[in-house]
Amino acid sequence: MIAPKEKTRARKAVKLRCSAGRMSALGAAVLLVNLSLLVLSGCGGPPESRGGPVTLVLKHAKILGPVDPIPRLLAEFEAEHPGIRIKAEVLPWSSDEQRQFLVINLEGGRPGFDVMMLDCIWVPEFARAGWILDLTPSVPSAELSAHFPSAVEAGTYRGRTWALPWIMNVGLLYYRSDLLARYGFQPPATYPEMLEQIRVIRSGEGNPKLEGYLWQGKQYEGLVVNVLEGLWADGTTLVGEDGRVFPDPERAQHVLRLLRMLIDSGASPAWVTAADEESTRRPFGNGEAVFLRSWPYAVDLFERPDSPVRGKVGLAPLPRHEAGVPAPGSTGGAHLAVTRHTRHPAEAIELARFLSSTRAQRAMTASGATKPTRMALYADPELVRGSPNLPRIHDLTLGGRSRPVTPYYVMISTTLQPELSAALVKVKTPAQSVADARRRLEFLLRDLHE
Amino acid sequence: MTARPRATGRLRDWAVLAALLAYATPFFWQLLTSLKPEAELMVLPPLLPTRLTWEHYRVVLDQSVMLRALINSLGVGAITTALALCLGLFGAYGIARYPVPGKGLLLLVIVGGTAFPQIATVSPLYLLMRALDLRDTWLALILANTSFALPLVIWLLTGFLQEIPAQLEEAASVDGASRPRAFRWIVLPLLAPGLASAALLTFLFSWNEFLFAYTFTATEASRTVPVALALFPGVFEVPWGDIAAASMLASVPPVALVVGLQRYLVRGLLTGALRE
Amino acid sequence: MRSGRPGAGVTRRRRRARVQGLVLLAPALVTLGALTLYPTVWVVWLSLQRRIPIFGVNHFEGLGNYAFLAADPRFWKAVEVTVLFTVASVALEVVGGVAAALALRGQRWGSRVALSLLLLAWALPSVVTAKLFEWLYNPAAGLVNYALGGVALNWLGDPRLALPGLILADVWRTLPFVTVLCFARLLAIPAEIYEAAQLDGAGPVASFTRITLPLIRRILLIAVLFRTLDALRSFDLMFVLTGGGPAGTTETLTVYAYRSLFQAVQLGLGSAVGVVVFALVMAVAWAYLRALRREGLAA
Repeated sequence: MIAPKEKTRARKAVKLRCSAGRMSALGAAVLLVNLSLLVLSGCGGPPESRGGPVTLVLKHAKILGPVDPIPRLLAEFEAEHPGIRIKAEVLPWSSDEQRQFLVINLEGGRPGFDVMMLDCIWVPEFARAGWILDLTPSVPSAELSAHFPSAVEAGTYRGRTWALPWIMNVGLLYYRSDLLARYGFQPPATYPEMLEQIRVIRSGEGNPKLEGYLWQGKQYEGLVVNVLEGLWADGTTLVGEDGRVFPDPERAQHVLRLLRMLIDSGASPAWVTAADEESTRRPFGNGEAVFLRSWPYAVDLFERPDSPVRGKVGLAPLPRHEAGVPAPGSTGGAHLAVTRHTRHPAEAIELARFLSSTRAQRAMTASGATKPTRMALYADPELVRGSPNLPRIHDLTLGGRSRPVTPYYVMISTTLQPELSAALVKVKTPAQSVADARRRLEFLLRDLHE
Repeated sequence: MTARPRATGRLRDWAVLAALLAYATPFFWQLLTSLKPEAELMVLPPLLPTRLTWEHYRVVLDQSVMLRALINSLGVGAITTALALCLGLFGAYGIARYPVPGKGLLLLVIVGGTAFPQIATVSPLYLLMRALDLRDTWLALILANTSFALPLVIWLLTGFLQEIPAQLEEAASVDGASRPRAFRWIVLPLLAPGLASAALLTFLFSWNEFLFAYTFTATEASRTVPVALALFPGVFEVPWGDIAAASMLASVPPVALVVGLQRYLVRGLLTGALRE
Repeated sequence: MRSGRPGAGVTRRRRRARVQGLVLLAPALVTLGALTLYPTVWVVWLSLQRRIPIFGVNHFEGLGNYAFLAADPRFWKAVEVTVLFTVASVALEVVGGVAAALALRGQRWGSRVALSLLLLAWALPSVVTAKLFEWLYNPAAGLVNYALGGVALNWLGDPRLALPGLILADVWRTLPFVTVLCFARLLAIPAEIYEAAQLDGAGPVASFTRITLPLIRRILLIAVLFRTLDALRSFDLMFVLTGGGPAGTTETLTVYAYRSLFQAVQLGLGSAVGVVVFALVMAVAWAYLRALRREGLAA
């Protein structure tokens, strides 16, 4: 009786072992199929073309303006450089996303692009990180002197040139010249003057939809720019000599209180704390505000044939806090840089120089709403005919000041943004915001040197 | 006596349906927005548009990366599901049918894997993908999605397997069927609905996954639908109509699953919960 | 090894079966180990470093990141937002979910359509939900302001309204999950119980509190467990809807971690916040499971 049982048991055991083995074999086969699927999906990327035309990839943000000048410029470049093809790819709209995209790709070591458009505040960071090519040998300093000094400064790090100036920006004050003229005002020289003008004009017009002063207070880089301009007007800076942020905390708190006062007094609507460039440009362009702090791109949009404020917009430097202390506008803009590991450095540098050349910048200014970095173009008769405000913008740009040129600017700015926003919307007191910002930045920046 | 309850019952049914229709309003409002002409978007009364238009869908499909993103999402989702089901099925069978040491603890740890916060693993996984040079590939997303899909699948399938009595396979082996044959012909058919539920849930979660996809993808070569939607480009102002159209496209598989394969979805949800 | 004793064949077979089981489990365990366990250990290690990939900073620092967080107002604000969000969200979901389940239970026909309408909200990707609500909350052309009578509330820009707005969006999205669970459980309750209670003179409230509630208690606790863990880990919705703003009023721990990791590129600090989230989630899970086990409910 035992023997058959043992036999069946043994048979069962053999069957189990074989079956488990077969199951494992089946499992292994399925796993193999899956693995090969995985490997296939991991393979990616375009095949390398040997010989044939050199293809450069240009990454740029959408150029504001009615017509996109880039395709035509690239076609001209390709015509003049047979054997080079340019593939232009548009970056995401938001500046933060552009930077995140570039950082993630460059950090990985094999970006799929050769030339890229950088916000000027990113240049020192990218240079310090070793992602962009040193352009000093390829660009003579005489060529650079044709650009605004602050633009050149923004593209320089540790005495070397890392990016070519391409598009220029400066913060300035737009005002309704018709309204000011009606009440006999000149563009305000100080904030108290501006507030008074707003009061008079609004009570005189009796239009409840007419706002006073629009600026950008949303939690993003624009807020830091607005606060920075306030700090400069108050005689202090953002980053001190020793590299510490808010070297004069009292003054910084004072500036934040002033900005809050603008909203509390009704001179600025409450929604500026969530406003960026476009959400302030539109109301002003519809005639719903007296003053606007913004960038030069807006003036061409205001002067469009169908604009309600056509011919009624004037440009002025930003108001000062007190007479005697200048209030420079923040300069900004875009630069062109070449990735360090590009396979075609000579061609890429050629493309960058072409795009920042007089010819290209003239084409961009003529068809778009962007402003050139080459100072001579602001006196170009054809351009001035199309955009009469150019000489004025030139003077304002000369009076502008660049944001701190440090590799850590983005880190500083992104740390400051929530703190400044908290102070503006009254979630924190200005003193608390400034203290928290300093503490956090001290921790983040400790032992980091330029 | 029977007439009145039926009338109030019918009324009640309609009322509940109306309430739920109202609940789904956000979705239908977005659907309507995607069909509203651009000029009528920013004006609120009236609610309904004067005409319906497909221009937003055309813009999205022609000019944006949504089409490529849909392909990416489909591919990543399908392969993730296949991988998770394969690994998970064998793992669950091992746990359910074999005397694995520390079974209870193992199952608890695996189930605990479903509770893992992705934000904790995203930084090491990012470094891992970077080291393996897998950024911007499907493989990176498949691996990342598998990390949370696999525990879920094992958990679900273990539950389903435990509902199928082991005696069935023992009886089959007495009749001379080997283990794999018993598995193929007896267990698998019974497990099929459970497998379907697990597959559906895995695909759904993979489709909806955002954090890993946002971090590990860089270009439209591998961008999935949620990321493409989150990064939807706008020029001067936010293109609400286009975003609405893109949202609808992004919702096609989930909606199809809910409407068509609801039974499996519900079963999966319930089994996952009731197993606890 | 107990080879000499009777039953040795059983033990050997059992051992073989154990090995076979492990063989079947091995691929899954290896995958999980590589993708989940290993990164978990790694993130703890990362949290003890000062690591800024962009600038090549990479050195061990011990508990410096945690010390900073302990005194960091932004961190504690994030904790506050996370807790508020979780508690409010789960509470509303449970109340609403049970109500919806009760309503569905009485459905004579059309329950499948009803369930579909409800599950729609749950199945959508959270990014889609975020865009949905961003449009609904639009001050000028949003349906919410319109439905409220044309007020011009700036839902996502007002520091007092952003968190409620976020919670509302999350509740809309996850209430169906609770409903499905309760509904399935309710279906299993025989109608005779209610009829008997009605004969005894119990009103609807009494029959709810005395009959329904105790019977769905178990599934409710499980639903609360799931939802709490999900809410603590929630990231997509707040990141896309508000980005953590305005002024950090919707910045949960997960958003704070992400910003530290990939915006400030401080991998060490961000990992530390991630570890905190991990510990929080595990602690809550453990506490819940113990409570469930104490009530003799866990399997």
